[in-house]
Amino acid sequence: MSEDSERKTDPPRPDREDDAQKQDESASNEKAKASAGAKADASAKAGAKEKAGAKEKADAKENAGPDFGTRVRTWVRANPDPFIGGGIAAVYVMWLLATARSLGFSRDEGFYFGASSDYARWFSMLLDSPGKAIERGSIDAIWANNHEHPSLMKSLFAISHMLFHDKWKLFEDDSTAFRFPGMLMMGLALWMTYMFATRAYSRRAGVIAAISLGLMPRVFYHAHLACFDVPIMAMWITCIYVYWRADKEGGLGWALLAGVVYGLTLETKHNAWMLPAVFIPHALVVHGHSMSRWGSRSSRIPIPTSLVAMATVGPAVFVLLWPWLWNDTLPRIQEYVNFHVHHEYYNIEFLGQTYFGPPSPRSYMPVMIAATVPTITLVLFAIGAFDRARVLVSRATLWAGEALGRRFSWPKEAPARDRQQTDLLVFLAIAVALGPFLLPRTPIFGGTKHWITAYPFLAILAGRGFDLVWTRIEVLLARLLVVRSTTDAATLDDTKRLVAQAAVVLLSFGGALAATIHSHPFGLSAYVPFAGGTAGGADLGLNRQFWGFTTESLAPWLAENSKPGETFYFMDTAWASWVRMQEEKRLPPLRGVGSPADAELSIVHHEQHMNEVDYNIWTEYRSSTPAYVLTHDGVPIITVYRRTRARR
Amino acid sequence: MKKEVLAWVLAAVPLVGIVELGLHVKQTTSDIVPDEDWLAARDAVKSKLQPDDLVLFAPFWADPIGRRWFGDELAGIKREARPDETRFRFAFEVGIRGAHRPELEGWKKVEERSAGKITIGVYENPSFAKLRTDLVDLVGPDRVTVSRVDGAAEVPCPWQRGRGEPGGLGVPQGPAIPGDKFVCGGGGTVGVAVLHALDHHPHLCIFATPMGAGSAALRMRFKDVTFGSSLHGHSGVQWVNERTPSAERITVAFSAFDRPLGQNIHRVGAGWTGFEFPTPELANKKGDLVADVSGAGPHAYCFEADTRDVTP
Repeated sequence: MSEDSERKTDPPRPDREDDAQKQDESASNEKAKASAGAKADASAKAGAKEKAGAKEKADAKENAGPDFGTRVRTWVRANPDPFIGGGIAAVYVMWLLATARSLGFSRDEGFYFGASSDYARWFSMLLDSPGKAIERGSIDAIWANNHEHPSLMKSLFAISHMLFHDKWKLFEDDSTAFRFPGMLMMGLALWMTYMFATRAYSRRAGVIAAISLGLMPRVFYHAHLACFDVPIMAMWITCIYVYWRADKEGGLGWALLAGVVYGLTLETKHNAWMLPAVFIPHALVVHGHSMSRWGSRSSRIPIPTSLVAMATVGPAVFVLLWPWLWNDTLPRIQEYVNFHVHHEYYNIEFLGQTYFGPPSPRSYMPVMIAATVPTITLVLFAIGAFDRARVLVSRATLWAGEALGRRFSWPKEAPARDRQQTDLLVFLAIAVALGPFLLPRTPIFGGTKHWITAYPFLAILAGRGFDLVWTRIEVLLARLLVVRSTTDAATLDDTKRLVAQAAVVLLSFGGALAATIHSHPFGLSAYVPFAGGTAGGADLGLNRQFWGFTTESLAPWLAENSKPGETFYFMDTAWASWVRMQEEKRLPPLRGVGSPADAELSIVHHEQHMNEVDYNIWTEYRSSTPAYVLTHDGVPIITVYRRTRARR
Repeated sequence: MKKEVLAWVLAAVPLVGIVELGLHVKQTTSDIVPDEDWLAARDAVKSKLQPDDLVLFAPFWADPIGRRWFGDELAGIKREARPDETRFRFAFEVGIRGAHRPELEGWKKVEERSAGKITIGVYENPSFAKLRTDLVDLVGPDRVTVSRVDGAAEVPCPWQRGRGEPGGLGVPQGPAIPGDKFVCGGGGTVGVAVLHALDHHPHLCIFATPMGAGSAALRMRFKDVTFGSSLHGHSGVQWVNERTPSAERITVAFSAFDRPLGQNIHRVGAGWTGFEFPTPELANKKGDLVADVSGAGPHAYCFEADTRDVTP
């Protein structure tokens, strides 16, 4: 690939400038028309006074320019990207809302529902008697609940519930109101992904990046939940995007925004503490030269304002938004850090083996990405990543040549300059998110969700990859269909290009779309078709689920095969999640119990380390014959046993 | 030329998406085994299955589906939670997706047939051993007595029928404590339950545990055992204990007719392991077999044994 082709396939700025120019022309025409109309009106009036009045009016209108609506329309036409990205996000959030009712509650959601309900009480107290709310006793009584995670998302869950369920009754289910902020965060992630890719590469790359991110079955699953994984993914890319814009635009406003956003990211989940590993190396590369120059002249190192803001405003926001930290601040921060640094290892199956402690297998992360991210996305990512890595290396080579006073044989041509080193930032965002999972002491029990922060950037490079693919397809199509020319100069007209692009996108992502739709509500059981699908994952000995959320999928069978009030052992489902499912009538009215010994019906969620539950039920019921096996694509997800009279 | 090839390769990338869609459609429709096939397979196996034949499902993850359709009669606990495969003359392997169980490595395939998407392979055991007495079957007040031996003191442990303790909502749960069991004052129970062993497979065995600290042993006397040419068995510890190897050793010592037959020392971390003591001189004799378990400490130790005729 030559730099020429790169420039040809990389038309973001010209695209936007063209659009902007078109809009400007259109606005001028409207202005001219408005002016002419006003003049004609004025000349039709009789009498000098009236004429003078009309002329005054017309002049005023002319001087005032187009009305507000016209100006908004003009601005929107000139800046469509926030709206395109917002539109994609809005459609996706609606999709999440439409499918939320059929997805059971994960273990962690049960805990966060409870914590959020507590926090809602505090917010009510804050409105009713603020003095009492900020007393240590009030804070500690409420905010000590689930203090191993920061407050932002749980606070948003609480506020969403207070507004959208209790006050405005927008959502019938309590759970949907709790989950809604998480869904909006997915919308934010898509929006930011689109914006980043569009600004960095092209609008087409932006659209494909958003599609790639939205059509990952695991992301689709997590996007439903009142949890922190998708929110931290959203905040990770938002924070990097704002830092990037701050670096480009300069000024105190963007820098302060970077500080605030970093604080909100810290307040979302502890992954945020890794972000300096993205920003500092990037800032050193971008500003290193000026830093050393200024440093040698004035003995002061000019640190970018956005970094200063992130280091100062960020932690302040972190503490301010988390009432639990308002007392005994440092010891409690220490407690929070210790919890995550010394987090226990849970069991997780990988390639037929259950891991429960270090060393974690280094192949876990790459294999799980290959097995769960649609293959088309990974192929496009590989193309995009290769392209941008090549540019990055060629820049580095030129830089090294200049520093050493040598001229290397490659690259022959200098790549386009990028003062902001966007490619480096994208690669750092991926590397810092994924890197820890190559270390043997990093727990792997979270499956793919713990490195989900890398996915928006993976999607952005997939968007870039699609740009390159489309460019080749367009040239070939133009040769074949339109001009029948053998030169690369052949092009499709706008309509044909649009139709062809839509067709190629549909063909490329039809599998990912189908797999994502089909994965619901078994998102954690889903593996990509090239890995053999759900059954292929089972064959490979990959984890089939965790968190016990699939219990709700038994509802149709239970409705036909259980009696109201029968005792039901719900195994890995958290008690709070079970109670919520019952309250929202997602399951028949059974009586939940904590042991198969007390249950007429007992279930086991299939994970390798939970075989013991299965075997214990055999012992208790004196039978190994299930009453029912809930499957997804023929793979057991839950086995249900019924105690028979003979087994009492 | 190279550039042209690259252009075609890049242009062909959407084919990946098309193949992805095709595979997805196949995997979510025609690859799934319908219930009717399982029923047909069950009927086919049922018509030929003998009491000393094994039924097993391949791959192992399909086991719950197989058990559901085949039921306790064909795929009950005794077959599912077997100690090993040596006691079965033939094995009916009910397989999907072309899977094959490693346990049948070395067995001779004597028949194969299909039931829709299911393949039923019949395999002959090259080293079949006929059982005389399975100690697991004897556990109960009629054929077994249990006592706790602490130094010179031997205290009987009465048989109790009660409520089982199959675990709660936490994971890992620990083994199920059966409702029907011998209960010893000072610590120790003996009863039959299914062990989740280190291999994650089920094994029906006699839990003799926990004993707590000290040197006490549990003594089990199995009455009217018919001996064969060999005493064959296995031992293991609950998987969570077993997966962290330690220096601890648990011993089960067998004796009959007032003389020792052999002892198995289980090393914590070894997993579900087998033992065999030749008893040719006892073949066809009938008498009491005594098993003394010591050193179990806090561990959920489980063992099983049978008397059998082994063909030299």
